[in-house]
Amino acid sequence: MTEEIADVLVIGAGAAGAALAWSLAETRMKIVCLEQGDWMDPADYPTNRLSWEMERFGAFGLSPNSRGRREDYPVNDEESPIKVSNFNAVGGSTVLYAAHFPRLHPSDFRVRSLDGVADDWPIDYATLAPYYDQNAEMMGVAGLAGDPAYPPKEPTLPPVPLGKLGDTLARGFDKLGWHWWPSDSAIATAEHAGRAPCINLGPCIMGCSQGAKGSTDVTYWPVAERAGVELRTRCRVREITVDENGMADGAIYIDAEGAEHKQRAEIVVLACNGVGTPRLLLNSASASFPDGLANRSGLVGKNLMFHPYGMVTGIFEERLEGYKGPGGCCVISQEFYETDLSRGFLRGYSFEMLRGMGTVASALFAMSTGRLEWGARHHESYAEIWDRTAGMVVICEDLPELHNTVTLDPELVDSDGIPAPKLSYRLSENSERMLAHGVARGAEVLEAAGAKETLSEAPLPPAGWHLMGTARMGTDPKASVVNGWGRAHDVKNLFVVDGSVFVTSGGVNPTNTIQAWALYVADMIKQNLANLFD
Amino acid sequence: MLTPEQDHALTLLLDELIPPSEDGRLPGAGALGLAEGLREHALTPSIAQGLERLDALAGEQGAASFAAAGNREALLRALDTESPGALGGLLFHTYTTYYQHPQVLEGLGVDPRPPHPKGYEIEAGDLSSLAAIRQRGPLYREA
Ligand SMILES: Cc1cc2nc3c(=O)[nH]c(=O)nc-3n(C[C@H](O)[C@H](O)[C@H](O)COP(=O)(O)OP(=O)(O)OC[C@H]3O[C@@H](n4cnc5c(N)ncnc54)[C@H](O)[C@@H]3O)c2cc1C
Repeated sequence: MTEEIADVLVIGAGAAGAALAWSLAETRMKIVCLEQGDWMDPADYPTNRLSWEMERFGAFGLSPNSRGRREDYPVNDEESPIKVSNFNAVGGSTVLYAAHFPRLHPSDFRVRSLDGVADDWPIDYATLAPYYDQNAEMMGVAGLAGDPAYPPKEPTLPPVPLGKLGDTLARGFDKLGWHWWPSDSAIATAEHAGRAPCINLGPCIMGCSQGAKGSTDVTYWPVAERAGVELRTRCRVREITVDENGMADGAIYIDAEGAEHKQRAEIVVLACNGVGTPRLLLNSASASFPDGLANRSGLVGKNLMFHPYGMVTGIFEERLEGYKGPGGCCVISQEFYETDLSRGFLRGYSFEMLRGMGTVASALFAMSTGRLEWGARHHESYAEIWDRTAGMVVICEDLPELHNTVTLDPELVDSDGIPAPKLSYRLSENSERMLAHGVARGAEVLEAAGAKETLSEAPLPPAGWHLMGTARMGTDPKASVVNGWGRAHDVKNLFVVDGSVFVTSGGVNPTNTIQAWALYVADMIKQNLANLFD
Repeated sequence: MLTPEQDHALTLLLDELIPPSEDGRLPGAGALGLAEGLREHALTPSIAQGLERLDALAGEQGAASFAAAGNREALLRALDTESPGALGGLLFHTYTTYYQHPQVLEGLGVDPRPPHPKGYEIEAGDLSSLAAIRQRGPLYREA
């Protein structure tokens, strides 16, 4: 069945697709978004139930391979020490994200010029700055102005409260004389654009029952739909098709009943994230593009970057009330962000503080680290852990390497028979050294804050939540997939707006930058409408 | 399915794994009724097997059964030593169900309710040391 032609077809309704669709809506073009997942109902999120902590082992788990949701597609990540964490629904992975919302630094766009590795981006911080601001308004960003780690920027909302735990950790940084700052967080700390304020539920990464977290199902999408964008859910795209001139002419998708459709379009925009987008391009091979759509450079699916994460947990004497408050957001430190060769590695990392654990997670943590006893000493051993842990993660910049890839798995398919992605990834020596440095410094902070003991894990296996690099941007068609405003070099009406385009990864969470990029690409499309395909 | 005797023995066993706290604020896992959820569970066959072995170990020490023995914790430790990991599945189940039970939450000083819709209040924290950090000047590189 063929449907009415769309001016713009957006594939994927996550962070990036939502921002782009909203921005383009003012053109009054016919915009259709196809999303394989469905709308989520905040009343169904785990924090509405006493069993909330256990639901991370079920439908609200991080891995698409174990969640058991029809909307998910499997990912073969056996050849990667870091496993994919994502979500497939309206809002995409922002449904589960922690909403830590930092920007990249100006130096992140000039990695080759400043540090002699990887490549520079074809755009710079100043290009994205107005779009970061626009995104802050739409997503609602809590934070505090004046952070010396950044050029001046104005958060839209007051910072997330530190709570006793954040306050304790901040004192650790103070003792060492190291930078820390209240985190920029896409969390409505006050009423914002019809969203209720945050009430410190705790596990943002299980979906926000309060609707205070800026996931795009509650930020961009309601506005975009009111402005006329058509969002079609439970529609999984199998391939993007091309006409005889090698231009994209639409996409074939499968609806919830298993029926196949073709949606024709003048412009196709990919927003399926750093794994979903290369998967779809590689699945869209044709006579004109035998190695996958827009892949004449051979770089689709190459240079996969995560942020290798290290995790350091401190055990304290005092109770920290750590189960209250946004789980991933209170304090960031960028003491070790910019390159300093004396540290033994290039580039740098951020620290982000994690709050404590709930009653069940505390028991499981104590059990898995051999601290929980059964029998007469049970309660004593539990009390040493319960509400006495605070954690921090080390988010390392990952540099692009050709051998880190997303390819199509020769056997694994999703529930519609579409080939699934396969990851092949290993940590570089630079990342290993950076992780070791970060974990050691993290332990120092926790000890300075009063921890009587620290434990660490690096790399953190489930931390494959930042997916970047697999359709990189650049000026040279031989060395990049899309140009400096997201248009595929090989297909002039095909755009990519997700983290696939990142040239380098920076050492911070990427979503704010992904969305700023999507808003920038939307503006470029609007400004160049008359000669978009020249 | 467990026999009524096994069911009773399981309750006693759970009270050995997590006994009531000395101050009386936290109940034992058996007294809390956690055996109920294990009557028809993926773990039931291995529990039944474990209870049989515990009865045999009790018999070796002259007791009529595990339930009748006076040194149940020692019997459990003997089982744990001869089959390391045998208690793993049961411990996981016991801990995860115990620590989400309203009575236990209350005993720990936590409101026995889901986080939503009431939420929690937390303090803003002390931001005064940020002035010194700001005084360090820009930490980012111009590019
Ligand atoms: C647990 C967790 C914590 C995180 N915490 C943070 C954080 O604190 N800060 C931060 O910056 N980032 C965080 N992230 C990452 C963040 O969620 C992503 O960077 C962001 O969502 C990426 O946006 P995107 O639009 O590129 O992709 P996504 O948001 O993943 O959206 C892609 C959408 O495309 C759809 N799709 C894919 N393939 C198809 C197809 N073939 N047909 C139809 N639809 C398709 C998917 O269903 C999905 O909805 C976290 C992620 C997770 C999972």
